[in-house]
Amino acid sequence: MSRIAQAFEDLGGSKEGAYIPYVCCGDLGTEFTVKLVRTLTDSGADILELGLPFSDPLADGPTIQSAMVRALSSGFRTRRLFDTITKIRNEGVTTPIVVMTYYNPIVRTGVSEFCSTLSTVGADAVLAVDLPIEESRELDEAAADNGLDVIRLVAPTTDNARAEEIMSTATGFVYAVSVSGVTGAKDRLPPTAISLLNRLVGVDGSVPIALGFGISNPEQVVEAIAAGASGVVEGSALINIYSESSRDEQTLLDRVREHSSRIKSATKQ
Amino acid sequence: MTSMGYFGRFGGFYVPEVLVSSLKNLQAGYAELSQDPTFKEELNSLLSTYAGRPTPLYHAKRLSERIGGAAIYLKREDLAHTGSHKINNALGQALLAKKMGKSRVIAETGAGQHGVATATVCALLGLECEVYMGETDVERQRLNCYRMELLGAKVNVVRSGSRTLKDSINEAMRDYASTSGHTHYLIGSVVGPHPYPTMVRDFQSVIGNEVKEQMMSIVGRLPEALVACVGGGCNSIGLFHPFADDPGVEMFGAEAAGEGIACGKHSASVVAGTEGVLHGARTLILQDGDGQVSETASVAAGLDYPAVGPEHAYLSGIGRARYTAVTDREAIAAFHMLSETEGIIPALESAHAIHLAAEVAGELGPRGNLVVCLSGRGDKDVDQVAKLEGIQ
Repeated sequence: MSRIAQAFEDLGGSKEGAYIPYVCCGDLGTEFTVKLVRTLTDSGADILELGLPFSDPLADGPTIQSAMVRALSSGFRTRRLFDTITKIRNEGVTTPIVVMTYYNPIVRTGVSEFCSTLSTVGADAVLAVDLPIEESRELDEAAADNGLDVIRLVAPTTDNARAEEIMSTATGFVYAVSVSGVTGAKDRLPPTAISLLNRLVGVDGSVPIALGFGISNPEQVVEAIAAGASGVVEGSALINIYSESSRDEQTLLDRVREHSSRIKSATKQ
Repeated sequence: MTSMGYFGRFGGFYVPEVLVSSLKNLQAGYAELSQDPTFKEELNSLLSTYAGRPTPLYHAKRLSERIGGAAIYLKREDLAHTGSHKINNALGQALLAKKMGKSRVIAETGAGQHGVATATVCALLGLECEVYMGETDVERQRLNCYRMELLGAKVNVVRSGSRTLKDSINEAMRDYASTSGHTHYLIGSVVGPHPYPTMVRDFQSVIGNEVKEQMMSIVGRLPEALVACVGGGCNSIGLFHPFADDPGVEMFGAEAAGEGIACGKHSASVVAGTEGVLHGARTLILQDGDGQVSETASVAAGLDYPAVGPEHAYLSGIGRARYTAVTDREAIAAFHMLSETEGIIPALESAHAIHLAAEVAGELGPRGNLVVCLSGRGDKDVDQVAKLEGIQ
């Protein structure tokens, strides 16, 4: 059983949802990334999504785009992602890590080399946002060879037959996209999120479902878990917390800690 | 699940899950309508009565003499309605969108020619229209920007990334992700995920099909060579594709070398690119060693794009078409040469093809015939060239 599957199983035993924060690696520097990760794991993050920035993030809204631009213009590249994961593991963080990116940086490194390096540095899974199941074979094989899970997406526009196909070949968990659109914090869960979760819960598949895109407050988390999600992914909202202020680093991290602890508490219903 | 829309190893369907169902609907809609005789009839009727097709194939005698090689024929896409070949694809896709029940059309534009063509057909068919255009392009193509607004379209200025064509495509895709129920994304070139590279090629193939007939009736044989500029690569594919199975016809693509390949400020994806995945397709891309897409440069906004249609990557790979990069300086010289010898001011994009055509014509010698696609007219560029030359 993969560490991700184990994490969901353990949480399921205590009837908790998984809190899965997304971190845009390299934003405000790699040292900040490591500190941010420590803060998130201290506040109860169950799985970490580490984003490798891409120059053309067409599934992302302005918040994550800006974070990626900041990271890339500071020179953050694939090698530094691997180094950052190594650092995180050296600090004793054992939380499962999903590397989330677009397919091109993976292709450019070499799909097989990318996966084997991820495995070596201690990542657990890979997610390529622009890789639908039709094109996923090469990544699936390389990931399987290296003991990595491949996280797949389902969207409100995914019909039931396709959702079943996606879930039947997914490993780790399935990432349910709450809205037909791009990433970005919202105050409420859109109706599409609930109807998607209701549909997916009825689909025959064994992997847990995590809801993401637009998550920013505990009320949404309670609602998502009540509708059948086994976890929530939060990205843009976190970036908003640490990037909108000119406060010192410790203040920013304290704010993240306070916010994330509230989100984590909301997963325990 | 099998993958679709491949040209050899290039092409495919690399899109976020949220776009999959709309693109599959589009694939199905296009597959059905492209076989429907009434759709073809309606499109052909608009192409002739509205867009002014067939466009002439013109023997540029003075240009040919100046160069002293093969006879050069210009395929006059600059004479099509809106001033470029972009109308061919815009009409086809807008008609398709209308038949599929879409009420809104979005598009990206670089030079503004595709934006103008899209705004035009939307006015014609009564469709709501929004065009994404990079801030950098808006500055250098103000006239086209205003033209779109005159035609009733809304121009959304894109300020993300490099603020040029690639970023406009990103923004249009983001829009499409949340609006695809009632919106059609009218991509302007043979780029993007399946079915776009195939569909746009089919709509642009009217160029090559006409050339074939016109050469047979004017000269009595097929040309030895075809030349066209390549940004995303739609006028070139439109010219090349109908000759795919005519081995005696060589194909030459002119990419933008900008200030020079060596200095890195260019847009020559086939000549200097590496394999990757961008905007839904596996193709040749200008990128760094980590797969981050490079910023590109060209005096011609319509060529300023860091990738190329996957079919070009394929044609280059199998050696069926050859690609050469033409510098800004060479293109501007060709811009002058055509204006002076033939009284035709070409678009800066097409001027790249004119430069390459001159080289190829020299190699072919006086007994050869060559067709170059004059993809657009140069009115939009006169201001820019005048500024570059210190006239204004």
